[in-house]
Amino acid sequence: MVVTCPELTAGEPGPRAARLLDRMVATVTGFCPEVAVVEPGTCAFAARGPARYFGGETALAAKIIAAVADLGVPARAGVADGLFAALLAARCADPVLLVPAGETPGFLAAQPVRVLACQDQPGQGQPGRDQPGRDLAALLNRLGLATLGDFAALPARDVASRFGDAGERAHRLARGLDSRPPAMRPPLADLSVAREFDPPEPRAEPVVFAAKALAERLHAGLAARGLTCVRVQVLATWADGQQSSRWWRHDGLLSAAGVADRVRWQLDGRSAPSAGERASERAGERAGERAGDHAGDHAGEHASGGITALRLVPDQVIRAAGQQLALWGEAVVTDRVAHAAMRVQAMLGHEAVLRPVLGGGRNVHDQVTAIPFGEKAEPGLAADRPWPGRVIGPAPGLVFPAGRAAEVTDDAGRPVTVSGRCAVSAAPARLAVPGEPPRRVTGWAGPWPLSERWWDAAAARRRARFQLATDDGRAWLAVVQDGRWLVEAAY
Amino acid sequence: MPTGQRGSSAAFGASGEPRTSLVLPPLPVLPDLRELLPRGGLSRGSVLAVAEFGLLCLALAAGASADGAWCGIAGIPEAGVLAAAGLGLDAERTLLVPEPGPGWAQVVASLLDGCELVLLRPPARPPAQVRRRLEATLRRGRGVLLVAGDWPGAQLRMRVAAQRWTGLGDGHGRLRACCAEVVTDGRGEAAVTRSRWLWLPAEDGGVAVADPADIPFGLPGDRPGAVPALRPGAVPALRPGAVPALRPGAVPALRAVSG
Repeated sequence: MVVTCPELTAGEPGPRAARLLDRMVATVTGFCPEVAVVEPGTCAFAARGPARYFGGETALAAKIIAAVADLGVPARAGVADGLFAALLAARCADPVLLVPAGETPGFLAAQPVRVLACQDQPGQGQPGRDQPGRDLAALLNRLGLATLGDFAALPARDVASRFGDAGERAHRLARGLDSRPPAMRPPLADLSVAREFDPPEPRAEPVVFAAKALAERLHAGLAARGLTCVRVQVLATWADGQQSSRWWRHDGLLSAAGVADRVRWQLDGRSAPSAGERASERAGERAGERAGDHAGDHAGEHASGGITALRLVPDQVIRAAGQQLALWGEAVVTDRVAHAAMRVQAMLGHEAVLRPVLGGGRNVHDQVTAIPFGEKAEPGLAADRPWPGRVIGPAPGLVFPAGRAAEVTDDAGRPVTVSGRCAVSAAPARLAVPGEPPRRVTGWAGPWPLSERWWDAAAARRRARFQLATDDGRAWLAVVQDGRWLVEAAY
Repeated sequence: MPTGQRGSSAAFGASGEPRTSLVLPPLPVLPDLRELLPRGGLSRGSVLAVAEFGLLCLALAAGASADGAWCGIAGIPEAGVLAAAGLGLDAERTLLVPEPGPGWAQVVASLLDGCELVLLRPPARPPAQVRRRLEATLRRGRGVLLVAGDWPGAQLRMRVAAQRWTGLGDGHGRLRACCAEVVTDGRGEAAVTRSRWLWLPAEDGGVAVADPADIPFGLPGDRPGAVPALRPGAVPALRPGAVPALRPGAVPALRAVSG
């Protein structure tokens, strides 16, 4: 069954409409707990169960419409086999349209093809939005197919080959098949746990101790529902209003003590980087309290007046399906290494500790992908492709992440240029990298042209690469791009 | 290899300061680097300073990593992991902290808890107090700190005294290999200067001892003065295949010094 409020679906929801939307969904949820919101103002649910309870689909629809009308919003309801047909039925309803079981294909066959536009995403009619349904409907009209029945009569294979993915989906809808059942969302229970500290707690240890108890409650709450979470968010609030929020990978693997450890690292990490300045700021006020600990490890906690609240929020809640660890193939990250890496992540942030993954690519930068510790390690570009145009020979020991601007000049001191036909103006004689004394070029090779991704205007690059050896015994990988020299790597 | 290291440390009259690190075997290095190090490996709890970040640092880390150690690289965003992998570093057992920030000492201390070897380029000249604290942390653990840059308290110092790439012509060819003279000196048992000619990297991306006959420092227009350790008369007779690293301070391989 689909319940729709035409007043609420039209246009951008304002604050009043948003409030009404929420109450409307809540009202419908009162009749049937598993409600999927299709778009603002329209929600769908499987009607069979509730309809039996309330004495038939018509009776249920009447009750819902009456309840929604109490909010001051007129509503319509449609019942059919499948979400698409039910949506259409709700649109045509006055105020209830019931397509009896088994008659849905007949109901759909009579609909004009323009109704396919209603499967486009909400916000339709805005320029620039993708509107496959509307485009397809216009095309079908031009081809002389006026109703969904005409369209549904076409062989599915021909539709797929002529109209592609969008056409195939529309064809399934026209035949009364739903590609997927409505995704039901159970009512969200707040599984987060929190603890307030009054008076504010200036030291980390009691907070960490409380965090352990909190984590136990969190795990118990999740386990009671057969759930686990991918990440857990630790949210700490200080008395001066500052907040620290960080996500920690959980995957159902952490014990309560493990979560408490992460809380400790987060609190330590927050105080560590700025400890020096804060300590000096507040040195006068608080010096007596912890004279022995002037190293600054805990100075930050004092500075913010103590912690007032700690909250653990499970993120990406999933069904607990147990864990299967890889038998081989992955380097085993020992607890010791994981602890060290996560402690550094607590100090510097999640993206500060990386694991390199070797991959493929034409440029020296592309061949190594750095993945934040704890995330799945996959190379950016596949390593097992031939990658014509890559630099062969030994890999450079220094790869400058963004390249360093450089000047390459010939014997007369003129900049060396490379023409569009890859002709070099003169032999490179000098290499100058800013901040370092200029070097004499003793050997060079190139230019090796590389034209990448010419089909994509944003990523297209044309470059000519050189290898240069200089008189100090070093060697360089330099490129000319847009008439400028860049040193990409040093050997 | 663990059989040889005791003997060599005894031969150099080692053990100035008795330490727990003597109990644990040193971290292994690549076979061709062993003779440059007094114990044939990286002594645990010690600091090894390499003058400048480059392939030598990565090669020193590669041996330990290939042996199963975890390796942390801090403060070196331009570290060429691909080249390191060619030398033997296992990228799967590597942690990168490209920007350790002002709290780098604490970051390194944390990394040393998890990794046997940490390669660090300190952001600036490290203050003596920070340095001593880190060294104390190091002695308590079993890790090795490999510093790219200056570190006054380092037990061992290494540098590339001279290097030359082969394979590039005047507008043709490509880089193939680099011949480098690596010099080690230090304090205590490492006080003897050792030097060795290595292919760093060799054509296959690894490390190999350079045969004196192959060293490309005889090309015309060459400046042998670029080799600081060169003293006339210290150049021994050339025997093909001779191991040139055992005579401290000597540069055995300059065939065409006059040329």
